[in-house]
Amino acid sequence: MKLTGTRIAATMAGLALLVLLLFMADLFLGSTRIEVSSVIHSLFGRGEPGDEIIVMQFRLPKALTAILAGMAMSASGLLMQTLFRNPLAGPDVLGVSSGAGLGVALTLLTLTPLFSLPAGSIFTGWGVILAAWAGAGAVMMLIMSVSARLRDIMTVLIVGLLLASAISAVVNLLQYFSNEAMLRTYVIWTMGNLGNISYPQIRALAVATAAGFAIAVMMVKPLNAMLMGETFSRTVGVKVRRTRIILLASASILAGSVTAFCGPIAFIGVAVPHIARLLFGTTDHRLLMPGTALCGAAILLISDLISVMPGGGHVIPVNTVTSLIGIPVVLWIILGKTGLGRRF
Amino acid sequence: MGIEGILAETRDLAVGYRSGKRVTTVMKGLSLRARHGELVALIGRNGTGKSTLLRTLAGIQQPLEGEILIEGSTLSEIGTSRLPRMVSFVSTEPVALRNIKVREVVELGRFPYTNWIGTLTGADTEAVDAALEATGVADLAGRSIDSISDGEKQRTLVARSLAQDTGLLVMDEPTAFLDLPSRYGIVSLLRQLTRERGKCVIYSTHDLDTAINEADRIWLMTGDGVTEGAPEDLMLTGRLARAFESPLLSFSASDGTFSFVRSRDTSIALEGRGRTAKMTARALSRCGYTIDPQARLAVKIIEGHDGPVWTVSSGSSERTFRSIYDLVTNIPEPGH
Repeated sequence: MKLTGTRIAATMAGLALLVLLLFMADLFLGSTRIEVSSVIHSLFGRGEPGDEIIVMQFRLPKALTAILAGMAMSASGLLMQTLFRNPLAGPDVLGVSSGAGLGVALTLLTLTPLFSLPAGSIFTGWGVILAAWAGAGAVMMLIMSVSARLRDIMTVLIVGLLLASAISAVVNLLQYFSNEAMLRTYVIWTMGNLGNISYPQIRALAVATAAGFAIAVMMVKPLNAMLMGETFSRTVGVKVRRTRIILLASASILAGSVTAFCGPIAFIGVAVPHIARLLFGTTDHRLLMPGTALCGAAILLISDLISVMPGGGHVIPVNTVTSLIGIPVVLWIILGKTGLGRRF
Repeated sequence: MGIEGILAETRDLAVGYRSGKRVTTVMKGLSLRARHGELVALIGRNGTGKSTLLRTLAGIQQPLEGEILIEGSTLSEIGTSRLPRMVSFVSTEPVALRNIKVREVVELGRFPYTNWIGTLTGADTEAVDAALEATGVADLAGRSIDSISDGEKQRTLVARSLAQDTGLLVMDEPTAFLDLPSRYGIVSLLRQLTRERGKCVIYSTHDLDTAINEADRIWLMTGDGVTEGAPEDLMLTGRLARAFESPLLSFSASDGTFSFVRSRDTSIALEGRGRTAKMTARALSRCGYTIDPQARLAVKIIEGHDGPVWTVSSGSSERTFRSIYDLVTNIPEPGH
């Protein structure tokens, strides 16, 4: 027992170190080449003016956002998978991401023409964030009130999936009636962007992530019991319906906030908890919760590094990268000897 | 510890489901008791409501009417935070996890005693060790749950229940899907817990054989309600036979076993001794013959040097066989 304890501590420390290294790499590497020394000088406010702007206004906020969003999305995925006892559940199954998308689409595709604003104007400030937050929040409230009335958690899952489809249909309808410029703006939003975020917004995202994560950490004990099923949880004293609602709230705050600030970030929420389970070889949420968050931060940082294609002068959408590196990982887990289902 | 006072009692209990305004009563008027140190088997045919009763006893479902008393207090007096220290429950829900160790499953039994993050104290670890030891899964503690047999899994769940340290253990079909030795293993383990630790165990089962042989008390559930008593009481009054009667089954009250009812309209005479004759009679009866020394059709067993030989004579014709299988597949079908 002692030995595995040491191994787990070493894995956790190694992961934390990896996140730190990747964070630094994300500062040093970018689509524009900047000398290492210049990056360091810029961080302390003594760099070349041009370099300093790139480092402080673009790379640093993007790297910080990658860490926060990676942690939040993967932790949210872990909560959903345990709550639904389903290895394929993720933050998007309840329609929280679709809800955020609906908020953005409604604002962008109806308000912009109404007040004849330029297509990209709501993306400059808090407009899109508040719209997405409102959309995600509305769906979350709806799901939670449904969940409080239903006995069977599987029904909640089905309601969530149906709701997500219905919302997509509404978004499609809005897209159909919008002009090309607005359509393009919306589609680009759906591709995810870690960079379009200011320091005050990062602060807000950090507060939301911390709040959602704190709730999740406080629920590790009932989460461990929930793995054994709701009947068991009830007989050892878990207040199942209350726990369900708290978990839904936490998962929605985490995923909804990330979607509000960065757009829908694909794949991280579903796949990262599996990578953490594989790495730590446990189902204990006391380890999985921090482990998943660290893995999520590391993977989103890697995705961001790839998306800027260091030195190439182009940036590709982060969702493309998370999907392209993520799908092979999930396939490898599913098809591998240890199988996705076997590791749950 | 012997059989002492009443641990669990139901008073005019009605169980069933309530959804909105619709109430589905599965069973009502239940007044049952179970004592400390008693093994209670709940038996009854499919769909009579065994699971519903057990789930209600364990506090998972609300009673529709009447009350349940555990150690003299009603469930509502006990409250949902104290109940997990008095009643534990093992459902038929399989453990869907594969990557969890036997020890970790048993540790979950300590849930009602640990702090907010589930830290195990010295006392908790001792209780887990003791539960692993008592159920005979201590050697498997480090194995993952998907690498052990069904019988061992069920023992692990009993260990988890034991680690929860409750006076009453409620189990829904703990012997389902197990082979015969494992079934006896689990039931004798449960009996041992009642005898050595004074636990009261209430379990449902379809395995009448072990229930009749091991349980102190039987709760027999039929469409009309639940009758309780020693297994022998229920056999004596014929209630057990009536509960499971069907055109296909006949119950032998003398030894408590069931056998298929077959049409017996062909009689056959059997001549032979010992186990060979017993087995032959069994096979003939299974194929629908009635043994009758006066019958025209006759089987005679001769113990030869290299095993028994069966000779079937019918009037003038005579045939011999070297195995019971050959014998029963070659003699005329009953009724012909």
